[in-house]
Amino acid sequence: MSGHTGVDLRATDAALIQKIVQRDESALAALYDRYAALLSSVLNRILRDTQASEEILQDVFFQLWRNAAQFDPSRGSLPGWLAVIARNRAISRLRRQHPSEGEELLEATVIVPTNLENAVAQQQMLGRVKSALETLPTEQRAALELAYFEGLTHNEIASRTGDPLGTVKTRIRSAVESLKRNLLS
Amino acid sequence: MNGHPTRPEDFDLYALGVLEGEEKAAIESHLPTCAACASKLAEARGRIALLAFSAPRVSPSPAVKERLMRRIHTPPESSSAQITSREPERDAGFFRRWWGAVLVPGGVALAIATIFLWTQNARLNRELAQQRETMQQQQKQLDEARHVAALMEAKDTVHVSLASQPGMPKGDVRVMYNAKMGMAMCDGWVEPAPANKSYQLWLVPMEGKPISAGVIASSTGPINPWTVKIPQGVAAKAFAVTLEPEGGMPQPTGPMVLVGPVT
Repeated sequence: MSGHTGVDLRATDAALIQKIVQRDESALAALYDRYAALLSSVLNRILRDTQASEEILQDVFFQLWRNAAQFDPSRGSLPGWLAVIARNRAISRLRRQHPSEGEELLEATVIVPTNLENAVAQQQMLGRVKSALETLPTEQRAALELAYFEGLTHNEIASRTGDPLGTVKTRIRSAVESLKRNLLS
Repeated sequence: MNGHPTRPEDFDLYALGVLEGEEKAAIESHLPTCAACASKLAEARGRIALLAFSAPRVSPSPAVKERLMRRIHTPPESSSAQITSREPERDAGFFRRWWGAVLVPGGVALAIATIFLWTQNARLNRELAQQRETMQQQQKQLDEARHVAALMEAKDTVHVSLASQPGMPKGDVRVMYNAKMGMAMCDGWVEPAPANKSYQLWLVPMEGKPISAGVIASSTGPINPWTVKIPQGVAAKAFAVTLEPEGGMPQPTGPMVLVGPVT
């Protein structure tokens, strides 16, 4: 059994962010424990490079430490925001773009349709997302994954797969429609 | 174009990053002028962000968190590194100029350098031993993280919510249990335990006596997510938390505070 960190683990993300603004390190550690595995998973899937993934993971939480005051919990979800920032940085690294090209997302609002503040809720969401993806036809799922995990545009996916641009557009639009329907149901 | 996007999925496509050229520019030119569409984009970003959950689970090395916590104490980079790196050049120049005239002092310097290196070697050996100890701890944490990931991924892991019993301290504890792996993970919260008392978690098997799944050490209420090993293959009927003398008991003796059936 692990010990206590001195932070109320029932604390909401918003309360922990407020503590980080007040330079409470244990609040940063608590948020890291809450979301590092999620971010590590998506970073490793995008980059397929453990060292690069861990660098970005650390950078994202360091950015949270430095810029916590910029995050307004009333305007969105912290795990969503972290996932968007992490993905954006990983795609930039993958495409050898300068990281600053993604900095505009710092102030982006990200609203996730459910509370992900505990491990069980995250596990349930993992199940829902995987189920939603499993219902997609193979071609739709593959196109969606090329877009999300490799950061490819419609044209780039068409070039990569050799499929007509219109077909790619239809597949991705259908995939996001299904995803939206299944995640909201 | 400055009108609303015609189809609701356009926001999802924008958040996904697949739009290019005019399609992308049309949304970007409209967003600053329309709060309703900005709100729809925020929701679309959230939906697309959930795709992160489809990535195979990879827990980060415990060293990442350690480096992060060290990094937040590190002051911004200064020029000291450059200054330090220049010092040896200056020292080398000094010794080159005086080499012919100071053989004896050179010998003394050599002796001093030998002592310095000996002490450095001893210090490095101590640091190496500490590093080995740290690595062993990190390996242990990594193993535990892998076990937790396996527990969360396993299809036969059951989720149990424990509810407060009437008249008992309030709490909300959740347990994930996998009989085949002989492992459970618990998180949630419970009101502070009375003085000299501890909360203790029990696995109630289909047959036989309850099995202790650990004592909730804190008296401050919230509990950290933790894992516990349980004999493999035990079919659980329920999980329960009882109030016991401080440190716990081999078998439950106190009142049942929380209970949750395995369905």
